[in-house]
Amino acid sequence: MMSTVTRPGVILPYYRATRNTFKSLVFPGAMELFTVAGKAELLIYQCCLSFLFPAPAGTRLAHTDIKIPDFSDYRRPEVLDPRKSSQDSSDTRKAFSYMLTGATAVVGVYAAKTVVTQFVTSMSASADVLALSKIEIKLSDIPEGKNMTFKWRGKPLFVRHRTEKEISTEEAVNIGELRDPQHDKERVINPKWVVVIGVCTHLGCVPIANAGDFGGYYCPCHGSHYDASGRIRRGPAPLNLEVPYYEFLDDNTLVVG
Amino acid sequence: RSPYTRRGQASVSYAQSLLGAPETQLTALDNGLRVASEDTGHATCTVGLWIGAGSRYENERNNGTGFFLEHMAFKGTKKHTQTALEQQVESMGAHLSAYTSREHTAYYMKTLAKDLPKAVELLSEVVQSCSLNEAEIEQQRGVVLRELEEVESNLQEVCLDLLHATAYQGTPLGQSVMGPSSTASVIKSGLNLTRQDLVEYINIHYKAPRMVLAAAGGVNHEELVGLAKSHMSGVSFEYEGDVVPVLSPCRFTGSDIRMRDDALPLAHVAIAVEGASASSPDIVPLMVANAVIGSYDLTYGGGKHLSSRLARIAVEDKLCHSFQAFSSSYSDTGLLGIYFVSDKHHIDDMMHWSQNAWMNLCTTVTESDVARGRNALKASLVGQLNGTTPICDEIGRHVLNYGRRVPLAEWNARIDAVTPSVLRDVCSKYIYDKCPAVVGVGPIEQLTDYNRIRSAMYWLRF
Repeated sequence: MMSTVTRPGVILPYYRATRNTFKSLVFPGAMELFTVAGKAELLIYQCCLSFLFPAPAGTRLAHTDIKIPDFSDYRRPEVLDPRKSSQDSSDTRKAFSYMLTGATAVVGVYAAKTVVTQFVTSMSASADVLALSKIEIKLSDIPEGKNMTFKWRGKPLFVRHRTEKEISTEEAVNIGELRDPQHDKERVINPKWVVVIGVCTHLGCVPIANAGDFGGYYCPCHGSHYDASGRIRRGPAPLNLEVPYYEFLDDNTLVVG
Repeated sequence: RSPYTRRGQASVSYAQSLLGAPETQLTALDNGLRVASEDTGHATCTVGLWIGAGSRYENERNNGTGFFLEHMAFKGTKKHTQTALEQQVESMGAHLSAYTSREHTAYYMKTLAKDLPKAVELLSEVVQSCSLNEAEIEQQRGVVLRELEEVESNLQEVCLDLLHATAYQGTPLGQSVMGPSSTASVIKSGLNLTRQDLVEYINIHYKAPRMVLAAAGGVNHEELVGLAKSHMSGVSFEYEGDVVPVLSPCRFTGSDIRMRDDALPLAHVAIAVEGASASSPDIVPLMVANAVIGSYDLTYGGGKHLSSRLARIAVEDKLCHSFQAFSSSYSDTGLLGIYFVSDKHHIDDMMHWSQNAWMNLCTTVTESDVARGRNALKASLVGQLNGTTPICDEIGRHVLNYGRRVPLAEWNARIDAVTPSVLRDVCSKYIYDKCPAVVGVGPIEQLTDYNRIRSAMYWLRF
């Protein structure tokens, strides 16, 4: 698309007013022109100039004097030659334009989608929170019989390396006697390792490891006794210690969360 | 069958009546000049020379020569001075006229049928031996400049000239017939015409194979051929250096040109796409398409009951003062468009509905619309031939364009072959999703931006 904007020069209103004087310019015997006084003289001089230098900017005498500029610098190669019909190349030119537009549109949609997802996902948990969400524990650091405490998601996490004796004791417990009946097998993946959250289910204090009457944990706040599987045995707590989601990456690595 | 039950039936159908129409006879002289005539039986006749020359054959340097030559034609020949020529013509009671267009030039005389020999003699003189004297040339410069000045106020002409200028930019078809003011100017700037230019133009373009002696009225073809032989055998048919001017195709450019002048009361807007050439088979469906859109101006009494949809909308919302669908065809290209005149607050709406009319043609035009268009076109083709001069003009133009006169019966058959699906296909080929050329003259601030006009050349819903 090429467009030309032209305006009749400022001279136009004056041109109408001095019609007669203007006409005399074009007839033979134009010599007496310059004796005309006043405003008309200046305007005629301008008209005269424009005859001498055809097509000056801003003033023109007839619409047939308008020259459409040469837009060859902007034309596509197929339509550079004015002696070739533009119909033949019309389909290929359109196809190129539309393909370019289509491709840009697809890219634009993907860009928009990316921006929107970025804004929307910014509302989900931030990196530092996510970093805290999992904990990786090297099991070789924990000797047998020992309970290690880790800070995980703002809460204490107990990882206990159980001895054979503790395992068999816990597995032999009669579930009917328990306030919160759960067999040991339900609470562990590998019986050697117990992973529980160290928050007492009564009122939230942190139990002490390797204390209490059942060889597990004892909560000093109100006297809740837990066994080596983290189950409540005596005291005010209603539920067993919570077992979080965990998995063993390999024999030596435990990932909780 | 009882006459009472045959109400509304003509005794002969229109198609049948056309078959009985007088035939146009065509003969060629030895030098290639063609003679064509139709004997209509009138007491008067129109006879003229149609020449295949026009502004399309000119270049930047000599644009306006043909038009200037037309002015010089009746200002005296080698045998008759201007006064003597005028006296001869007037004593016959004849009218002598001429016109120049982009591809044709015509010199013709309207006279009594019995004055045919004198008319042919005068015409042959005017064309072959125009005197072109210097004093007259100087005087005619002023006349041409005054005509240029006058045409500036005919905004329809300005608009359509600018349409050609922008649509065919860089090609000879973009040039106006009248040429720039520098061509006729007094001031010898090297751009203005001299007698030599006029002589050259005649030498190059006024050749027998490109000329047609056409006549219509109470003329006898044999007599006409005899007259042509005696007066026009001398027209040359050879080119200097064997250089035959050949028309190269003209590139169409989708573009726009806006001549804004808020002091004018009405805006004149035209939009056109590249159409079919005169000899293309698609020309008839496109003419039917234009008839479907039709035309309108404030004087039409039908109001909102006019049959053209665009006219109804224009009336109901007072969108325009007038509009017309037009089709200009040249030998290898053409313009198909809509021209309208509206006030400055309704240009955008009028443009929208005009393009809507085009889209309707390309997609959903109905059988009733097409039937109406066919009938309107047939009526206008016949109605145009109301006199010896229009008939003669048609003979001249047809022989130049097609090599023969296309009879009404043939037009009829071709029009009848246009069905809605044919119309949709042809219109889609020329209009749908094509880049148009747009012109605006006057208070056109509201004229739609070109990109939006271009987007309205297709429908997303389709």
